[in-house]
Amino acid sequence: MNHDPWIWIGAFLTLMIFSFLYKDNPFYKFAEHLFVGVANGYYIVFYWQNALMPNLFEPLGAGNLVYLVPLLLGLMYFARFIPKIGWLVRIPIGFMIGWGAGISIPAYFQAFVLRQLQGTIITPQSFENTIDGVWAVVILIGVICTLVYFYFSKEHKGILKPVSRLGIMFIMIGFGASFGYTVMARVSLLIGRIQFLLGPWLGLID
Amino acid sequence: MKWYEAISKIDRRIIYLLLTVFVILPFFVPFKIRQNIMPQTQRLFDFVESIPPDDKVVMISFDYTPQTMPECHPMAIALLKHCFARNIPVLGLSFDIQAPGLAVEAFTTVVNELNLKASNYDDSLFYGKDYVYLGWKSGFTAAVLDMGESIAGVFPRDYFKHPVDSLPLMQKTKNYKDVAIAIVLSASAYPEYWVLYPQSRYGVKVGAGLTAVMAPKYYPFLQTGQFSGMMSGMKGAAEYEHLIVEKGYTKKLGRAETGMNSQSIVHLLIITIIILGNIGFFFSRRDQKQS
Amino acid sequence: MKRRIPLIICFAIGILMIIQFMIPHPISREFGSTVNKWYIVLAAFALVLAIGNLIRHHGTKIRRKKTNWPYSIVTLTSMVAMSIIGFAGGVDPKSLYQTIYLNVLAPLGSTMFALLAYYMASAAYRSFRARSLEATLLLAAAFIVMIGFMPFGQYISPRLPAFAEWIMKVPNMASQRGIMFGVAFGSIATALKIILGIERSWLGGKK
Repeated sequence: MNHDPWIWIGAFLTLMIFSFLYKDNPFYKFAEHLFVGVANGYYIVFYWQNALMPNLFEPLGAGNLVYLVPLLLGLMYFARFIPKIGWLVRIPIGFMIGWGAGISIPAYFQAFVLRQLQGTIITPQSFENTIDGVWAVVILIGVICTLVYFYFSKEHKGILKPVSRLGIMFIMIGFGASFGYTVMARVSLLIGRIQFLLGPWLGLID
Repeated sequence: MKWYEAISKIDRRIIYLLLTVFVILPFFVPFKIRQNIMPQTQRLFDFVESIPPDDKVVMISFDYTPQTMPECHPMAIALLKHCFARNIPVLGLSFDIQAPGLAVEAFTTVVNELNLKASNYDDSLFYGKDYVYLGWKSGFTAAVLDMGESIAGVFPRDYFKHPVDSLPLMQKTKNYKDVAIAIVLSASAYPEYWVLYPQSRYGVKVGAGLTAVMAPKYYPFLQTGQFSGMMSGMKGAAEYEHLIVEKGYTKKLGRAETGMNSQSIVHLLIITIIILGNIGFFFSRRDQKQS
Repeated sequence: MKRRIPLIICFAIGILMIIQFMIPHPISREFGSTVNKWYIVLAAFALVLAIGNLIRHHGTKIRRKKTNWPYSIVTLTSMVAMSIIGFAGGVDPKSLYQTIYLNVLAPLGSTMFALLAYYMASAAYRSFRARSLEATLLLAAAFIVMIGFMPFGQYISPRLPAFAEWIMKVPNMASQRGIMFGVAFGSIATALKIILGIERSWLGGKK
């Protein structure tokens, strides 16, 4: 068994969280609130040392006055606490939203539309290997049917009905696969904690 | 209560207990099963294999959190071992604020292990020359885009507060032109944003190490080549560990490989309880129809 | 003015960012780079605001002695303590800050997620029923993936891993790509609406 007090702290905190499996209790609540506090304390140090200091105050200190713009914009966030000038908070939000919207249009178009279309379209090269060609056709059908399933502007009647039904089949297989992977993911996290308790804490495994 | 009602109404505490026992058991009754390597893990491994030594850096974006550490941390360790074994310099950075602590831990673990084995100066790893950890930055999209112009512009100082320009590795690593591949180890949507922004704008090669939950979503990126390879969850990490052992870069398998035995039998348990639940459901439904 | 100025800023920045993405001329790259640096700072300010809100929330809880208020003391005290430790002792691998991160923050965070394994197993047992063709397909795909990707899958049938891989690469990929197209078109449309001032909910309030 390990004699490092930090390992013991980690183990007890782990057990406190696991106690929630029985029911909500003061140990769990303590650990939960400790987590929020420590995490935010950890963040504060990073905001200051890794973002505000090197990317704002140091350049400003070096006389780079263009950084006054983000400083002013940033301070405007706090205007929301002063009702008279509360509307000023919309300026940095407008800047950030406009920036995000502008940057995302060409990026989404290129990475999510053009490249994905390229990957879906069947070309003569798709049939260099017959079986791959068949799967390329299946993928094309699957993509179209999935899109039709999510097309709600028109009632799914006539030809749309079987197409959207086929679409939901593809989606269900996709969700099934995702579920399989989710099991894998969640179990991995549990294994990680058990490995910690059995290994570094109790010393029962390597 | 009829037998089929009983098997579809097992108390949740029994399921919790079974799950715990099934996770613990393989650690005490070890068995060895050969890993089957998924093509996307092999692709990522092969890509790193193809990078010439002492040339461009491998950028590793540590964007996983303690919550998903058991899946992504072994990937980081295996990747670092692979790069260092091949003398490929590594540039680490993070955009998830919870990640830097884990990134530092991964670098420390691997560097200490390899430096203990080093027989001379040339074999040893040095901060600033062989690897650099830039730390965390806010404004992910802006930061990854701006690194296409200048990495030092975004990260004027590294995690340890050294001016980035003063580090030898950073003097030859100015922007994405000097990066062979950016491998994003993440538990959230960061890999797709790497494809969306720096790849669309600067053509950066992107690899990914993801939690298993996210993997199915990213198969389209593998098919189009937008991802140069991918590790999916603990299994992906175990496969990568297996590949670097097979190639002789390290002798010891990592944590992911040892966890895979538990993973295997827990899968069987979950499949079994779902089947039991369904058997109960079918018989109950048959009863209802008959009555 | 209170609405028009933010709308004009949003429009101008949006259009300029599109242009600088499309035309990688040195001037536009310089502009893009400057604005990106501003964004990095602004994002940091937004996070500071979030922490401010957290302090206000817990402070009010303590002042008014609301339910479970003593736990708010735990949150605020640990937050202040962790910040002081980080600022005073540094963030090096051997620092107290890093030790607390690895031995307090990491176990707490990872155990919270580990709980999900129990809930997922229990929920899957109780609600995963093959009630229809669609649900059966979902179950079958899940089983094949769960068995096929595990090392023992190859011993049940050597073709099982390949079949699981096929599920991921063909039907799963087709559906994920369909969803991806939907996300892309939706994002582009929303972004356009924001830039053109059609979507204004971000302004909040009426004035």
